[in-house]
Amino acid sequence: MAEVRLENVRKGYGEALAVDDLSLTIADGEFVALVGPSGCGKTTTLNMIAGLLELDGGEISIDGRRVNDLDPKDRDIAMVFQNYALYPNKSVRKNLAFPLQMRGMARGEIARRVDEAARMLDIGHLLERRPRELSGGQQQRVALGRALVREPKVFLMDEPLSNLDAKLRVQMRSELKRFHQDLKATIVYVTHDQLEAMTMADRMAVMHGGKLQQYDTPERVYAHPANAFVASFVGSPAMNLIPARLTETGIAGDGWQLALPPALLARARQAGSAGVLLGVRHGAIGLLPAATPGAVEARVLTVEPTGDITFLNLRLGESALVASAAPDRHFTPGQPLWLEFDMARLHLFDAASELAL
Amino acid sequence: MVRHRADYLYVAPAILVMGLVIAYPVWFTFYLSVFSTPPNLALEDKIFVGLDNYGRILGADSVREASLNTLVWTVASTGFAFVLGFGAALALNRPFRGRGLLRGTLLVPYVISAVAAAYVWRWLLHSDLGVISALAMASGLRSTPFNFLDNTDTVLASLIMVNVWKEFPFVMIMMLAGLQTVPDQLLRAAQVDGAGPWQRFWHITVPHLGNVSLVTILLLLAANFNGFTIPWVMTGGGPAGASEIWITQIYQLAFGRIRFGLASAYSVILFAVMMTMGYFYVRALVGKDRPS
Repeated sequence: MAEVRLENVRKGYGEALAVDDLSLTIADGEFVALVGPSGCGKTTTLNMIAGLLELDGGEISIDGRRVNDLDPKDRDIAMVFQNYALYPNKSVRKNLAFPLQMRGMARGEIARRVDEAARMLDIGHLLERRPRELSGGQQQRVALGRALVREPKVFLMDEPLSNLDAKLRVQMRSELKRFHQDLKATIVYVTHDQLEAMTMADRMAVMHGGKLQQYDTPERVYAHPANAFVASFVGSPAMNLIPARLTETGIAGDGWQLALPPALLARARQAGSAGVLLGVRHGAIGLLPAATPGAVEARVLTVEPTGDITFLNLRLGESALVASAAPDRHFTPGQPLWLEFDMARLHLFDAASELAL
Repeated sequence: MVRHRADYLYVAPAILVMGLVIAYPVWFTFYLSVFSTPPNLALEDKIFVGLDNYGRILGADSVREASLNTLVWTVASTGFAFVLGFGAALALNRPFRGRGLLRGTLLVPYVISAVAAAYVWRWLLHSDLGVISALAMASGLRSTPFNFLDNTDTVLASLIMVNVWKEFPFVMIMMLAGLQTVPDQLLRAAQVDGAGPWQRFWHITVPHLGNVSLVTILLLLAANFNGFTIPWVMTGGGPAGASEIWITQIYQLAFGRIRFGLASAYSVILFAVMMTMGYFYVRALVGKDRPS
């Protein structure tokens, strides 16, 4: 296993910059998710680590060795693709053996490794089948097995779960996590699904527009988003972002105002922002039935019970926001509610730069 | 059944036309093949001879020679056209400057009329007046003209060369279309797995092209087996029958010597071979849709 280091990596397609000055260190044995919406540069980044795309600038090193000019096969990496990319004309056994054959490994050793991977992934009974005779989940396991037999320094995974149905995806998610725990493998995992990144990764690199937005543990990214994009991308439902302006004692929007703790206010003042975005997750909003000092009035638009938790779409001045409540509480559309924000979990972002204050 | 009656009405005109232009001639050929016909157009004077015509065709020395020629002509034309066309497709599949122009240029042999091409090639290969001989002599490469078409040893090879030139673009188009459906992700996976360009070609591209190759080869085999224009226009089967193939012999028998009965029996044999090929063609086409 090995450390992967990206320094000032750049890649453009024509005029557009797909990856813009990306620097990232993935520690030995770490599971890192590159996460972001379509077109954020995450797959381009993965393909550059794999050696399937050339860099326009910067440097990539694996295990301390610069790999910019190395072929994929010389980088000691294995890759799992979104559509599994199993060789359709080969049996599962031959699919698993292929990367070893290409390296000229002895027959006995190939058989041993294939059997071991098959046992580990519980696909021993599928070895003589062709890929088209397998279910999506089985194909996914075979694809994983083909990466595993190589015993590579780094596993690269390109949205490996996105073609599975929801139930199977949850199951494979925990299998992948166990796979990582057992192997202590360095894994770079690309996904557009923030939940996948949150649940599996040791650290997540949130990308947007080719730029790295934040690189930290899922807990910290969730609790302390570096900017408004990360705040709105990570977490489901997304963090509420409410436009407001700074006042003497706190912030105000149209028709509401809120006093802020002095420390938070001072931080916002220091940044010199006039316009701010108030960031608050649904769980940090208390719902009170009557006017209370320090609470702001909102109105219920719709109620969405999900069983465990009930989500409410609310209207605060000219802004819409989502709050949540226990399922045993009842609300009716049009009803007024007083929102009490948990001050320790409030976020402020500069309205212009969208950076956290 | 009642509900479908109208359906038959709708397809009736098409069935009628097909019956007239396909089924009737086929049936009439079968019918004529069991008669001895006079060497004129008075078909009323034909005499029933059973399978005699078939016996005469299958026993004739000239047919045996033509059969060997037909085999060589069909297999060699198909083989060389396939190899050349596939090579061209591979070369043109990767992007380079001027690729579009080159693709267009290489299509020219396929789109020009076979008769025109055959005449031009006959002239190019002519031993006395041909450009190729003239250039070879003018440049001092040879002191005597090439004798491509008037030599029993080289005439068939020359015809095959022209035929390959004429039909390799067809292979190129088919294989280019096939190459463009090779999934990029498979090639990338193989690249990461350590396969070099040649191994990727062998393990990914070739298996993926299996079906399109099979269909292309079967279409070529059928077209060449029936390939009349080039041999007929360029040599008419000569010299001394050295470039005679089944189809030119049938034509000569029917419309040169006016032996319709004999020519019909010969045609039925050719038809049987073609239908066998057709069977494999259809099987190859539907085979890939069949669940395993």
